[in-house]
This record gives sequence, structure tokens and C-alpha cells, in this order.
Amino acid sequence: MSEKTLQPPGTMNVTAKHKTIFAVLMFLGAAAFVVTLINNPERAWHGYLTSFFYFLTLAIGGLFFTAINHMVKSGWHVTIRRFGEAMAAFLPVTAVAVLALMVLGVDHLYSWLDPEVVAHDPLLQHKTPYLNRGFFWIRTVGFFGIWLYFGKVLVGKSLEQDKTGDEGMSDKLIKPSVIFVLLFALTYSLFSVDTLMALEPHWFSTIFGVYCFGGMFQSTMAFMILTIVYFMNRGQLKGYVNENHLHDLGKYLFAFTVFWAYIAFSQYMLIWYANLPEETIFFEPRSKGGWMWMSLGLVLGKFIIPFFALLPQWAKRSKAHLSVVSIWILIMQFFDMHWLIYPNYDEEHVVLSVPEVLIFLGFWGLFLFFVTRFLGKNEIVPIKDGRIHESVHHHVVY
Amino acid sequence: MASPLDTLDKIVGSVEGLVRAKGKKGIAGIWTDDHAIIGAAAQTKALGIKKFDTISPFPLHGIDEAMGIPRSFIPWVTFIMGLAGCAFGTWFTWWTSAVNWPIIIAGKPHWSLPAFVPIIFECTILFAALSSVGAMFALNGLPKIDPPTIDPDLTCHKFAIFVPEDDPNYDADKLESLFKEHGAIEVKKAEF
Repeated sequence: MSEKTLQPPGTMNVTAKHKTIFAVLMFLGAAAFVVTLINNPERAWHGYLTSFFYFLTLAIGGLFFTAINHMVKSGWHVTIRRFGEAMAAFLPVTAVAVLALMVLGVDHLYSWLDPEVVAHDPLLQHKTPYLNRGFFWIRTVGFFGIWLYFGKVLVGKSLEQDKTGDEGMSDKLIKPSVIFVLLFALTYSLFSVDTLMALEPHWFSTIFGVYCFGGMFQSTMAFMILTIVYFMNRGQLKGYVNENHLHDLGKYLFAFTVFWAYIAFSQYMLIWYANLPEETIFFEPRSKGGWMWMSLGLVLGKFIIPFFALLPQWAKRSKAHLSVVSIWILIMQFFDMHWLIYPNYDEEHVVLSVPEVLIFLGFWGLFLFFVTRFLGKNEIVPIKDGRIHESVHHHVVY
Repeated sequence: MASPLDTLDKIVGSVEGLVRAKGKKGIAGIWTDDHAIIGAAAQTKALGIKKFDTISPFPLHGIDEAMGIPRSFIPWVTFIMGLAGCAFGTWFTWWTSAVNWPIIIAGKPHWSLPAFVPIIFECTILFAALSSVGAMFALNGLPKIDPPTIDPDLTCHKFAIFVPEDDPNYDADKLESLFKEHGAIEVKKAEF
């Protein structure tokens, strides 16, 4: 089929039903957060941080996906790029969310912000040049400034191309994409260090940013696959996206399932082998009682099960199968975030019940609202991109 | 009486005979357009011909479907040998470190799984990779020494379909007209 005869796919039809569901989710999340905040602010902010980081990861993951594809002049991704851009449309909301966290939440989360604690802890005094309130603010503002700027450039120019039809735009995006990818490596690593690793300020692991990146790409692919399958099932992507695109996304999902496990194990093995107190402090609570079960559960659920579920070729080309695995991985990513954050709240018990789940669902409502809003306003396929014919005829042999 | 040199000649000849590729006689069509050859391959298959082959200097998208080639079983070799390698690595690290020569290292138990995972992982990869390559060689009948060539340009810019005579539905005239019809620049009797 020639691209000339293809009908433009149009925008997403965001119905009142969608909006009601998102509003209900948002309301439930907000209510759960406020109630928990009154009764137990520490728990509320731990739950907030879990969901905030989860969705920041999805938003910036979408931007990262579009950037790496611009960077390498990839042809196959064109018809699915807008879904990555839609995820990046959530970035401004994360900027507001991080502001709330910085102003109201951080004192419930990070012990090194308390001068009283630092005064009695030589190790923390030693880390003060990095771990202090002022520099934390500067870094956070800087990181979000960079992400928002590149989000505006990369997504904005792509949307502009829809209107102007300027095919040279794709090449103009290579330079900002390269700069963004380099800055992304630094900023995302440091932000995960600041917000997650610094929950236990005595601990350090140089591979931690890569660990968070592994989970980021894995869950980003999972969400993109679900979005694409949704539009494919509605027939809106007919002629644009087929099982060959799913196959490649499935390969990404598989690859980063393995990558996450590889990094997670590398981090664990070196700490286990060296057995130094300032390093094992992270794994100590996580290898006891309920947390141990969760650690083992992550090995099984975030690596072994999706590994075998995605191994055959047909598994990566089947919409239904891929969707089930993607939903599974998105749930596992939540458990991973929870496993990273909640031992800081309660070392002994796995605290995971109604407040955590509702706050998470509330963020889902917020995230889906902004993603669908973006897709409702813009063509779901960047049809004016010069490389679209490559994507329309995408064919995967292996 | 045969001289020793004659005997040597015989031995070399028989070894050579084992590895030297034996060509089959048949008919070959040659193309310069990679799109045309996919259509021609599909039509050849439609004639009921099963043993034919397509020769191309680079992978052709859609040729497997056009020729009706089923998926290779090599992934199963990779998978099963990967599992075997994993099992072997697990057993071997256990046997060497906990049974045959137990030494306490860094105060860890004799059989400490985290320390052995890299070895188990490497064994998995080694078994899977080597057996995949081995299976691929066996399946393709490699190595082939000095195989007959249809056209030297087939490694550069030409494409060919070869049908051997021993195919039950072989019909040289029909094939020749079919190849010509689909834009073959040349049709000839060949050995491959």
C-alpha cells in the first residue's frame, strides 16, 4: 500500500467516559493522599515519591525514546513516535509535582536535611557539600529545566512539522537529540541518586542510575506497546503500524528486561562480595522477612517470567500476548519502585496497602489524562515526517 | 604395484570427495531486480516446485514467505543448549567448589550462588552460541569447498533462482518461460 493512498489517522477520540475514569482515579488518589497526609505524613510522602518517580520515568522515557530515534535517523519508529511524545507531554506536570515534593515533602523523606541528624553523624557531615538543601534545589531546578526545554524542542518541532510539512525538520532535530541524550545520562542518574539513593544517605552505589534507567526503558516500552495496541484495535493505525513495529518494541522490552536484571545483579553481586558495611546497608533490610520475599519476587517477576514470556518470536508479534506481558511489567515496575523506597519508611515490614495503591492509581489518572489530552489534540501519527514511508513498509525478518 | 604416491593421491582424493560440494544439474534464472525475483519465487512455488533455491548478495525482505520456507529450527537448538549450558554451569561450579575441592573464599559458604552466576551465565551463552553456529553449519552443508557457481556476479548485484532437475515437478520449458515472464535477464542450464 502506498503512503499516498493512506488516510490520515486523525486524533484520539477522548470520550467523556475516558475523562470520567481519569477524574475518578485522580479523585481517589488525591483523597487517599490527603487522608494519609493528615494521619501519617511520612507514609503519604513515601507513597507520593514512589508514584511520582514512576511517572517521571515514563514521561522522560517517552522523550528519550524519541530522542534516540531522531539521533540515529531511524525510519521504522516514525509511525509510533507520537506515542513517545505523548508520554513526554506529562513532563510539565512532573515539574509541578516535584515542586510540591521539594517544598512540602522532602523533610519527611531525607534525614540529611535535618541539621540535628547531620550534627551527630560524621559521615553525613562529610557528604554535606553535595547533600545539602541549597544544592538539592539547584540541581532539581536545573534537571527539570533541561528536561522541559528539550521536551519543548523535540516535541514542539515535531508537531510544527505536522503543520508546515517541512521534511528538513527531522534532520534539524538530530543535534538537540544528541545533546539531550548526553545530558539525560547525567541528569537522570543524578536525579535518581538525589531522590532515591539519598533516602539512605550512608549508602552509595555507582551503578544506581543505570539500574533506574533499565527499569525506565523497560516500563516505557511496556506503556508504548499498550497505547499502540489500543489504537491498533480501534483500527486507527491501519496501514501505519503493524506487527513488525510491535515485534521491534517487543525486542526492546525483552532486551531491557535482560538489561535490568544484568544491572540489578551486577549491583548486588559486587556489594555481596565486598561485604562492606556502608554498601550492604542497602541490602540488609531487603534481605529479611517480607522484604526478602519482595526481593526474590522481583527477580522472578521482573526478569524470569517476562524473559521466558518474551523469548519466542510469536510472543513479540502477538498483540494480546504482548499486552499481557506489558501490563505485568508495568505492575512489576511499581513493585520495584516500592522496593527501592519503602524500606526507608519501614525496614521490618512491607507496607503496601490501600493508600499506596490509591496514590498510584491517582497518578495513573493524571498521567493518562495528559497523555490522552495530547493525543486528542494532535495527529496520532506524524504524517509529514519525510521518513514515514520507511516506517509504513517496515518489515522485520528476525 | 601402486606407488606410495598413488596411495596418497587416493587418500587425498577421497577426503576431497567428502568435502567438495557436489553440484546438482538444473535450470537457473538470473535477475538484476530484487523485487522481480520475489514475484518469480512465489510463482515457482505455485508450480509445485519444492527444492528450489534463491541466491542473493544480501538478505531479501519477504523472500521466505514467497518461497514458502518454514521457520528454521535453530532457535530451538539455541534454547535447549542454553538451558543445558545453564544446568552444566550450575552443576560444575557446585562440584568444583563444594564437592571436589572445597575452599573457603572470603568467608563465604562453599557453594555461594551469587559468585557463580557469572560462570553459569557464560556457560549458558557459550553453549547456546556455539551450538547455534554448529547447527547453522550443519544445516547449510558447510564447509563447501569449491562449489559450482551459476554466475560470479551473484555475490555482487545479481539474483538467481535455481531449480534442480530432481524436483518432481521439474519442467525446464515451463520454468524458462516463467522466469522470462518475470523479467529474468538470462535463463540457463546450470550446476549448483
